[in-house]
Amino acid sequence: MLSIKNLHASVEGKEILKGINLEIKAGEVHAIMGPNGSGKSTLSQVLAGNEAFEVTEGEVILNGENLLDLETEERAREGIFLAFQYPVEIPGVSNLQFLRTAVNAMRKHRGEEEMNAAEFMKLAKEVSKQVDLDPSFLKRGVNEGFSGGEKKRNEIMQALLLQPKLAILDETDSGLDIDALKVVSDGVNALRSEDRAILMVTHYQRLLNHIVPDYVHVLAGGRIIKSGGRELALELEEKGYGWLGIKDEETADSAAN
Amino acid sequence: MKPAPTLSAAFLESAGQSLPKALLELRKQRGTALVDMPLPTRKTENWKYSSKYLKLTDEMASTLPSQGKALTGQEVPGYRIVFLNGVIQPEASEFPKADGIRVASFRDLDDQEAAELADQLDNTLDDKAVQLARLNAARFEDGLLIRLKPDAVLDQPLFVIHEVTADASGSAFPRIFVDAGRHSQATLVEEYRSSGSEPVMVNTVTEFKLADGAKITNVRLTMEGENVQHIGATGVRQQRNARFESHTVGFGGPLRRHDLHVRLEGEGGECKLNGVVVTQGKQHFDNHTTIEHVAAHCNSEETYRNIAADQSHAVFNGRIHIHQDAQKSNADMNNKNLLLSNGAEIDTKPELEIYADDVKCAHGATIGQLDEISLFYLVSRGIARREANVLLTMAFINELVEQIPLETVRETAHTRLNQFFDQTFQEV
Repeated sequence: MLSIKNLHASVEGKEILKGINLEIKAGEVHAIMGPNGSGKSTLSQVLAGNEAFEVTEGEVILNGENLLDLETEERAREGIFLAFQYPVEIPGVSNLQFLRTAVNAMRKHRGEEEMNAAEFMKLAKEVSKQVDLDPSFLKRGVNEGFSGGEKKRNEIMQALLLQPKLAILDETDSGLDIDALKVVSDGVNALRSEDRAILMVTHYQRLLNHIVPDYVHVLAGGRIIKSGGRELALELEEKGYGWLGIKDEETADSAAN
Repeated sequence: MKPAPTLSAAFLESAGQSLPKALLELRKQRGTALVDMPLPTRKTENWKYSSKYLKLTDEMASTLPSQGKALTGQEVPGYRIVFLNGVIQPEASEFPKADGIRVASFRDLDDQEAAELADQLDNTLDDKAVQLARLNAARFEDGLLIRLKPDAVLDQPLFVIHEVTADASGSAFPRIFVDAGRHSQATLVEEYRSSGSEPVMVNTVTEFKLADGAKITNVRLTMEGENVQHIGATGVRQQRNARFESHTVGFGGPLRRHDLHVRLEGEGGECKLNGVVVTQGKQHFDNHTTIEHVAAHCNSEETYRNIAADQSHAVFNGRIHIHQDAQKSNADMNNKNLLLSNGAEIDTKPELEIYADDVKCAHGATIGQLDEISLFYLVSRGIARREANVLLTMAFINELVEQIPLETVRETAHTRLNQFFDQTFQEV
């Protein structure tokens, strides 16, 4: 489904990704782990099409199509979904209006009829239940005044509504308490299917207890330095990133605390 | 040094004699007072950013004809007064008739009423501040008088349609005077529109006198065409516990100027001023507001938002003046601006003048662009870039548009805003 070859990307002239190679097939769940500053979020943003990042080399093929040639909105319509690490607050645009506009943009792209307000409301209410968000959140501004956990649940809700081919989850576990982690993980597990792939980007392995990956990759210094199965994540948790010879300031800090 | 330009004498010849004697006399006096009135230049502080847009030709000195196709505004439900080029068209209007409420054309006043009115006109405006709008008093051909007796409540909003037909060059001078008695209530909607394409000027003055406990809501939609220079002033004086609410939505033009001056003269008075301005192309819009806290224990709240696209130019000047005796005043002024292109210009100037020592006064002004991260977030969900731009731009003013108390007016505003978006974001 997704094939990344020798991907290099930089931001403000500084190279962050230094040759990423990754193959993801439909139905698979991949986890990318790595310390802060390793390039995890950059990879997510580059795949979704954030123009603040410049791709300098390499290619990304999604179902035979060159992803890097597509605009951000076209990538989304082709099935790329990024759950943001820091979902954006947009006061003045209601969550409902935002979600409906997005769903209808997708439907239009697929040649389906757009959903009217009443139809969409019904669907949105069902899905909001699935991620344990009160329907009153639909009427509020996009992520406006949401807690960290509510924002993450709103991201998963969008994934459930948009039904992407490849869902990229950028640090979706950060800032979640145990209960919220469970809700979010259930949402992600509901997304798992034979024709969909999931790419999880995470610093810690605790999310992987709830969403069990098929493959785990360790990203450091802009390259994937090790790949393996689920056991790799467990080993990392036990031994820390230092085990692979990676300097991880945050892990060192948290260990010191 | 070149002498400062003055108003051409042609602008001081008022033609129509259809007004009661007292008003004709008042008009004549005001005209005499304006002989050799200097026109604002860029050295005139409160016209600094706008004087270059003012283009008064001698052809514009003539009064636009007030007869003709006046059947506009028929789609407006309920009470409506139609002005055509500054003169009320009774056959196109629907006057409210209720106990304690007098709504009449200046032309229909008897001598006593006219004399009473002549004493009251222009008392809400500061001559030095409004400058060009003073011309209205020298030239008005008609006007709308609204007197609300104590406790009278106008049961529906009153729409005033100011239509200008610009089939020839000229000017129109509509005028409204509202005298709201104790604890009376009314909502007045003013809508400014035009047809035709010759260069014209609309010079309009609206005044409100609020007695103790009166509540007035004023909505103002400025939506004339690209050929209309609009110079408007609104003056408000409020007594004890009176409340005034203003919602303005303005679309840019060759010259658009609105001065809004509120005086809180009795304790417990409150005013809320909301304003939205959008400009595009080479359009201009200038809002100058003044809130004077004369008496103690008054609250004022002001929120203005400007959006400027292309090479357009929006100006906001908000002044809050707290007099020495106005202790426990509460004033909050906020102005946010959105620049949609590098060629657009927005000038904003909050001014606070505080002479009392126990007051709460806050002000803020920002100028920004559409947030790239928000835009990325929206398009990353498959939303078209153009639509994302519209959503974010609308979000910037939605809060204010949604506060307009009438659905029909909100709809009119939305329709016009959508036309603005269609033109502004067509190439995105």
